[in-house]
Amino acid sequence: MAQRHVLFTFSHDPYGSIWYTEGLRAVVGVTSGIDEHSVDVVYLGDGVNFLRKNVDRTDSNKYLGTLSKLGYGLKAEKESLDAKGLRASDLADGVEIVPRSGVLELIQKADLTIDF
Amino acid sequence: MANLYLLDKAIGQNALPIAAQDKGAKVVLIQDGVYLETEPLRAAGAEVFAIGQDVQKRGIAGSLPSYVKVIDYGQLIDLVFANKVINFS
Repeated sequence: MAQRHVLFTFSHDPYGSIWYTEGLRAVVGVTSGIDEHSVDVVYLGDGVNFLRKNVDRTDSNKYLGTLSKLGYGLKAEKESLDAKGLRASDLADGVEIVPRSGVLELIQKADLTIDF
Repeated sequence: MANLYLLDKAIGQNALPIAAQDKGAKVVLIQDGVYLETEPLRAAGAEVFAIGQDVQKRGIAGSLPSYVKVIDYGQLIDLVFANKVINFS
């Protein structure tokens, strides 16, 4: 398989399920291997709760560190943040805020999407 | 090839407003996604489908809007192969 561009969307709250951290493990997996696919990672709806500044990321830090070394960051949909009253100052360092139209652009750009 | 959004209820709710901005989008309501309020999709001109089996099991066939086309899983497979799948189910 040739290199693909994969969009990962995260819509589940952190904790109470393993979606938030297993999804990040999957992102790392997709960027690894012989094809080294490229990725975007965007948080929607309740998923943005993972991006709050003081969330305990003990079980996700190794994945986030790997993605950071590869040059990949995390994106949040602005409308989802607005719905929860969250501002940039409430979020962890390095989170990029994109408008809904920007998320649609990420969907258009992706060869495939995977949701967690 | 259009974008084909598969929407279940919980996380499909997040994708619904995105699909409403996606010109030419097709949307399939699957499982609890058949409960979603889809008027924004209709207003945006999206083509909306619902899985008949999921509609029947929940007893809501009579309350689906007339613009929602009921399909079976075989027709869903045809849509999946003919379009780019954006999964939120």
